[in-house]
Amino acid sequence: MGLVKGPPPAAEAVPLAARDIDALLIDLVAPDSGVRRHAARDLGAHPDAAMALCDRLQAETSSSVRAVLLTSLIRRQSPAVAARLTTFLRSDDTPLRNAAIEALQEMPDAVAPYLQALLVDPDSDIRIFAVNIVATLRHRRAPEWLTVVIRSDAHVNVCAAAVDGLSEVGGPDALADLHALRHRFADNDFMEFAIDTAIRRIGQD
Amino acid sequence: MLQFDRSSETLPIMTDDEYAKFCAFFYRQTGIEYHDNKKYYVERRIVDRIAKTNSESFRDYFTMIRFQASGVEMQALVNLMTVNETYFFREDYQFDALVTGILPALVKGKRRGDPIRIWSIPCSSGEEPYSIAINILERWEQADSWDIEIHASDIDSRILAEARAGRFSARSVGRVSSALLSKYFTRKIADEYQICDALRGSIDFSLVNVIDPVQTRPFRNFDIIFCRNLLIYFDDVARRETVEMFYDCLAPAGYICLGHSESMSRMSSIFRPRKFKDVVVYQKPGPGEPLP
Repeated sequence: MGLVKGPPPAAEAVPLAARDIDALLIDLVAPDSGVRRHAARDLGAHPDAAMALCDRLQAETSSSVRAVLLTSLIRRQSPAVAARLTTFLRSDDTPLRNAAIEALQEMPDAVAPYLQALLVDPDSDIRIFAVNIVATLRHRRAPEWLTVVIRSDAHVNVCAAAVDGLSEVGGPDALADLHALRHRFADNDFMEFAIDTAIRRIGQD
Repeated sequence: MLQFDRSSETLPIMTDDEYAKFCAFFYRQTGIEYHDNKKYYVERRIVDRIAKTNSESFRDYFTMIRFQASGVEMQALVNLMTVNETYFFREDYQFDALVTGILPALVKGKRRGDPIRIWSIPCSSGEEPYSIAINILERWEQADSWDIEIHASDIDSRILAEARAGRFSARSVGRVSSALLSKYFTRKIADEYQICDALRGSIDFSLVNVIDPVQTRPFRNFDIIFCRNLLIYFDDVARRETVEMFYDCLAPAGYICLGHSESMSRMSSIFRPRKFKDVVVYQKPGPGEPLP
C-alpha cells in the first residue's frame, strides 16, 4: 500500500484514428456515449462527415457527446456547417440552440456571410441570437454590425443586446449611435443604464 | 504604428504611446505595473503571443486582448508575464486541497483494493508529480491504506529525462522544508539535490503529446488529473479538445485540477466545479449523475 508504480498505459493494438469513416458513422449512433464521443472526435478529421455531425448534434441528448460534436464542427468549420447550424437557432430545443450559438461564435469567417440576414430576421428572438453571436465574434466588422442594429432595429430587446455587445467590443465610432439610441427609447430606464455603461466602457478603452 | 515583422521578430513592435496605453490597460486588469525600463521584457512576450495568435500587428493583438469575450488570451499573456520555471510545491493550495478534500471525497466512492490513479500532465522536470507524492505520503493519513499510482507525462523528451533523473537545483527545492529535504533528497553538490530512489521508482513517466488522441487514448480511468498552466497556451479549439479528451481519461466522478489562471467554465461545461475550501477543481459527473 502507499505509492505503487502503475503499469504504463498500454497502446491500443489498432489506433482508433485508423478507422474509416463508415465505421465511425456507425459508432456515432452507438448506444454507449463513450463510443459516440470517440466517433464524434475522430470524425472531425473527415470533411465529408460534417453534415453527419450536424445531424447527430440535432439528435444527441448527452451533453458530453454534444460538446465533442461541437468541437469537431468548430474544427471543421465551413460556410456549409455554419449555414446548417444557423437553422438550429429556430429550434425549440434550448440546449441545441445554445450549442449552435456557441459553435457559431467560434467560426467568424464561416458565419459572417449569414449574419446580415439573421440580423434582420422577422423573428426578434433570432435577431437577439444573432446579436449574441456577433457580440463575441472575433471579426473586424462586429462593432459595425452591432452599430447598424442599434441604428435600425425597432425592438427594444434586440437593441439592448446590441448595446451590451458594444460595451464589450465597441469603439468611439459607436458613440454617436449610442447617444441617438437614447432618444429612441427615452422612457426605458434599463436602456438608459445599458447605454451609459457602454459609453463609459468605450471611453475607458 | 510600427508593423510587426513576424519573420525577424523585429523590435520595437509598438510606439511609446502604444506601450504606455498597453501598460495602463495591463495595470487596470492585473494590478501589475510596468515602466519604461521593462519595455524590452514586455515586448518580447507580446511578440511571442502575437505570433501564436496569428495577429497581424500589435494593434490587432491589443484589440483582441481588450475585447475577446472569453478573456483567455489575456490570461495567456498574464501567465507569460508572471510565471517562470516550475518548482516544488508550486500553487501548493491545490496540494492542500488534494489531501484534505479531494482524496477523502474520492475514496468514499472506492472499494478497498481499487487503486487511486493520478496523472500529472505536463509534468515538466518532475517537480509536480514528486510534490504530489511527497504531499500524499506526508499529509494524507490514509496513504498507506490504498495503492496510489502516479503517472507523469510531458511532450518534451529532454525534460522527461530530467524528471526521471530527479536532480533539482536549490531554487527548485526552495519551498521544501529542511525536514523534507533530509527525508526525500540527497544533496549531491552545492546546488543540486537528488530525490530518493523510492520516489523516483514509484512514478511512471511517459512521453505524451496532449493534443494527439492516439497518444492519450491509452490513458484511462484516472481519478485525478493535474493539468496546470498548459491550456492557456492553446487556442480555443485545442483547449476544448484537450479538456474533452480529459473527460474520457477520467473515471466517473474523477477530478481535474487546473492552474490558478485557468477556468474550465471558459472551455467546457461538461465538468462540475467543486470547491474544497477556497480551491476550485472540476469533476466529471459520477455514474447516473446529470450534467450541470
